[in-house]
Amino acid sequence: MKKRPIALAAALTLTVSLTACNQAAPAPSDNQPQTTSDAPVVVSYGISNPWDSLMPYNSASGSNYSRMIYDKIYDRLAYVHADGTLSPRAAKSWESADDGLSVRFFLDEKAAFHDGTPVTAQHWVDTILRMTDPECPTLGRSAFSVLAGTDSSGVAVAGETVGVVAEDDYTLKLTFKTPTTPEDFLLDRNREYYVLPTHLMEDVAPADTMTMDLWSAPIGSGPCKFESEVMGSSMVLTANEDYQLGAPGFDELDITVMDKNSLLTALIAGDLDYYAIGGSVSANDQPTAENAGFQVLEGTVPNTFFELMLNNKSIDDARIRRAIELALDKELLCEQSTQGHGTVTGTSVLPTCASYAGDYNVEYNVDAAKELLDEAGYDGTTYSLACTSNRQGLAALMQQQLEEAGFSIQVETVDSTTMFAGMADGTYDMGIASHTPNALPLWFTESRFNAENNIFRVPDTAPYEERIAAVKNETDPDKRTAALAELEDYLAQERPFIPLWFGTALHVQSNTVSGIDYPSASFSNENVWEWVKE
Amino acid sequence: MRAKKVRGSGPWQRFRRDRWAMVGLGILIAEVLLVLLLPPLMGLEPNATDRVAGFWAPPSWEHWLGTDDVGRDVFARLVYGGRISLLVGFSAAAISVAVGVPLGLLAGYRRGACEFWIMRLADVFQSFPTTVLVLCLVALVGASVWNIVVVIGLLGWTSIARLVYGNTLSVREQEYILAVRALGGSTATILRRNVLPNAVSPVWAALAQRVGRAILSESSLSFLGVGIRTPQASWGNIVQYATNVTVFAERPWIWVPPSICIVVTVFALQFVGDGLRDAMDPKYVSSTGVEESPVFCRETPEELLSVLEEDAEA
Amino acid sequence: MTVIPVFFGITLLVFIFLSIAPGTIADLMGEGGNAISSDQAALEERLGLNDPLPVRYLEWLGNLFHGDLGLSWQTGRPVAESIAQRVGPSLILTGTGVALAILLAIPLGTLAAWKPRSIWNKLASVCSMVSFGVPGFLLSLVLVYIFSLTLGLLPASRMYTTGSSGSFGDLLYHLALPAAVICISNLGELVKQTRAACLETIGEDYIRTAWAKGLKGRVVLVRHVFRGSLTPILTTVLTHIPHIIGGSVVVERLFGWPGMGSLMFTAILSRDYAMVMGVTVVIALTVFSTNLLLDLVYGLVDPRVRQGRGGV
Repeated sequence: MKKRPIALAAALTLTVSLTACNQAAPAPSDNQPQTTSDAPVVVSYGISNPWDSLMPYNSASGSNYSRMIYDKIYDRLAYVHADGTLSPRAAKSWESADDGLSVRFFLDEKAAFHDGTPVTAQHWVDTILRMTDPECPTLGRSAFSVLAGTDSSGVAVAGETVGVVAEDDYTLKLTFKTPTTPEDFLLDRNREYYVLPTHLMEDVAPADTMTMDLWSAPIGSGPCKFESEVMGSSMVLTANEDYQLGAPGFDELDITVMDKNSLLTALIAGDLDYYAIGGSVSANDQPTAENAGFQVLEGTVPNTFFELMLNNKSIDDARIRRAIELALDKELLCEQSTQGHGTVTGTSVLPTCASYAGDYNVEYNVDAAKELLDEAGYDGTTYSLACTSNRQGLAALMQQQLEEAGFSIQVETVDSTTMFAGMADGTYDMGIASHTPNALPLWFTESRFNAENNIFRVPDTAPYEERIAAVKNETDPDKRTAALAELEDYLAQERPFIPLWFGTALHVQSNTVSGIDYPSASFSNENVWEWVKE
Repeated sequence: MRAKKVRGSGPWQRFRRDRWAMVGLGILIAEVLLVLLLPPLMGLEPNATDRVAGFWAPPSWEHWLGTDDVGRDVFARLVYGGRISLLVGFSAAAISVAVGVPLGLLAGYRRGACEFWIMRLADVFQSFPTTVLVLCLVALVGASVWNIVVVIGLLGWTSIARLVYGNTLSVREQEYILAVRALGGSTATILRRNVLPNAVSPVWAALAQRVGRAILSESSLSFLGVGIRTPQASWGNIVQYATNVTVFAERPWIWVPPSICIVVTVFALQFVGDGLRDAMDPKYVSSTGVEESPVFCRETPEELLSVLEEDAEA
Repeated sequence: MTVIPVFFGITLLVFIFLSIAPGTIADLMGEGGNAISSDQAALEERLGLNDPLPVRYLEWLGNLFHGDLGLSWQTGRPVAESIAQRVGPSLILTGTGVALAILLAIPLGTLAAWKPRSIWNKLASVCSMVSFGVPGFLLSLVLVYIFSLTLGLLPASRMYTTGSSGSFGDLLYHLALPAAVICISNLGELVKQTRAACLETIGEDYIRTAWAKGLKGRVVLVRHVFRGSLTPILTTVLTHIPHIIGGSVVVERLFGWPGMGSLMFTAILSRDYAMVMGVTVVIALTVFSTNLLLDLVYGLVDPRVRQGRGGV
């Protein structure tokens, strides 16, 4: 008999704790009806990586995740569509000037900062002048190095004028070092040019720009206003009703950082309305999303480019590098990674590029690889292949294929910082990386073969730089294609890196928010002003 | 309750009478035999892609548990993964105990400066962010199996040391230890003959636990991307596939078997650990409710003197 | 006094390890492979990464003594502010989970020891086995799959429903799954320790004496067995406190919970050393305070230890 009270007590503890969970469930539904009248319409947005500083030119990583946030708070000149076409944003229209050396942007008079101040050309000029000021601790300043009057790192050169002028209140003129069309400039740099509320920064010395309190509650002129944030974890933005392209169809945008693997789960569970970047989902997960009642949309243009980075110093024989390419069954690798949503390639140039010169080597030929190895006298050195943990499968497959051709490979699974640091300092011999391509012929190669950035550790960048410059300076379409072919031939011969494939993304469409331009998200911009939460 | 007459009261006899402990031991031995013998007997290939079957093939006669994202046979990887996981589990736990028990004993018995530095070292280890340590070590020496073993082992010594330390603290103040000390027993003798048996019995259970924890730690390291290096398989990195919602919902044959292996192994270790603890603990009351004649490690002064003499002779 | 050397030990060790770790925050620029070396150099210069290690450490220490944890390298905002934002949610999540585990474990463990042949002992065994045997992330996935995806009862992520004012009920609703995972993960250890401690006490002579005095079972259980087992139980409970502050990386990542664990994890991945050092300081301080508390508790509960302390 005396056992009973104790047993009862314990059972009670158990049931109480269990029902605590159950009772909690109906609680929000009890609360919600009371507040429906004035409840804000909220779009719940997931993102897998946190953003940096809310000051766009103080972003240590300059990652696409940070850019997705800046894109909402601050305004950019134009909106870049996935297919490379442009539509107006802060600028209503643009024209080439000074024989192609300059671009004139006609700004939208309706654009205003969140504090009500109209955005003028002077704001753009002041922003760029401040960011190129050597006193200002700007990060990612090289974005401005295309402008006249700056050096190769984007710092204003003393005694020269930086190529940015306000011709009148709403006309902004940018002048470049080399002739550049407005389209090429925007495709390449749009996501790095933001207008800052310089009227609030007048009293602050350039050197103190980054420590201003303004950046803990930033004021921009973008489609969303900053409300609050838990750093690195969540952010609340409200709709900018006065945005020049129209007010977003919601009141609040709640952004939460969560594990990449949880994004789709949270979407299906109804915790999220949509997630970055572009609601992308692997082909493997497509049936899961569809079974849960979501539509999956295939992107129209490739939005990823996979490459095998090579260390040209440790793998110093071009024949061995070519042998690596021949030993890789790109089709099978692409299938493993994209499940049929990719096209193998032997070049970094997109087929949609105007100067496209062919797909180069996509052949899989183990025997030819072995021959090349014999010829080069490969001594059985073990090469290290670095990859991030989500690409382990791909790396294992590459390892098998390379070993079939006689290579000895060791896979190192590391985080991305370690991988890129290791590629830059020569710790690793190979590395798997992916990038977002665009239709410009030099989107990939231009920034990787010079003194500023020699990630492939080629002993002499001059032959590459010469050929890249030839493509860049050629304006005649046919001659440009020929110049590009010349560059690509040289790359195919030297094989400093191995292009693998272009992948096309799959986007899970939101069931609760309409008007989302999914594919364009890979250009780090989203048409928030056209979203409508239903 | 009446004390039951028991035949033979050595630890092994007591252990053998514990049915569950024997079952656990049987499972562990069977596992070790399977992971060692199956590969040569069946000609398993854990790292080869089967191009015919393709990626993510469902279970078939060819591939009992289907293929993974690289087209490798999951069953073969499960068996090979068992080798790695068991190796990591046992070796890491052994390191934890090898470091933790002596340090805990020393700290608890000698006290003073010894106690201070050892327990502060334990604090350092406890506060040290695991991920930093693992990232750095992996970067310095590479993510080989042995490095992972050492890292997991070194991270686990504090809990063992604290356990032994706490027990030693209470044992050393007991009257019989004071008596031995008064009789002139050397520290080493006291530690070995009197403190150790009393302070260490809970370690047997903790040891089994640590093996299980080490197996799980390896799987969390895989989750953080710094586990066993590709293409080597471990139970942990196969279970990892479950983080993908599609694999979780549509392809349970990938992640359920390694999960079961982990759970069964940890259960078996628990049984063995509990059995060992009961068998080794001189004054333990069996969990089956049968009270055994208490065999305290308290020696009478006469016995002690003879022991001390023996030691002196040796 | 003991705090000081350990504090230097930890911070210096973490500092050295961080400088050994490959790559700096500058290597993350340009999403890999596209970084411009002048941009990277500017960042490294600004963060003082080119200074020798002792200079950097002393500088950091100097700031710390002024109560300044510095600015996060990633967000450019004060580290202290970030930590302050994260400590609360960590406490709520892990605290609830562990508290729940303690509330379940102590009666369960005591009963299991008291009545070795009863259902309680079996229940205790099952609990500790599930807790030891199932990895936390797997448990999370299973619970999310059942309660969120299949039954649609509970949310799978975040701390509050979006747009809600953050009512207590809403918090509980979101807390249910992650706290359950943490509760189950910690339950095994606690049940086991409680049971072991009580068994130990039951074997003591004074319990026999209590029986011999003819005391009622319940009185013996509560007054003698439970009180006698208090030290090891408290030890176990207290050693869980640093984990409460430190948070759980896996659960926080999977459930999108804004706690310290995920803060530390992302800080390490992005090589935000100022943040890593800040979190290390907080965790270190928690470990010390719990250890001080432990020593205190040992002394209070077990008079022999108290005497011994003065003696040897």
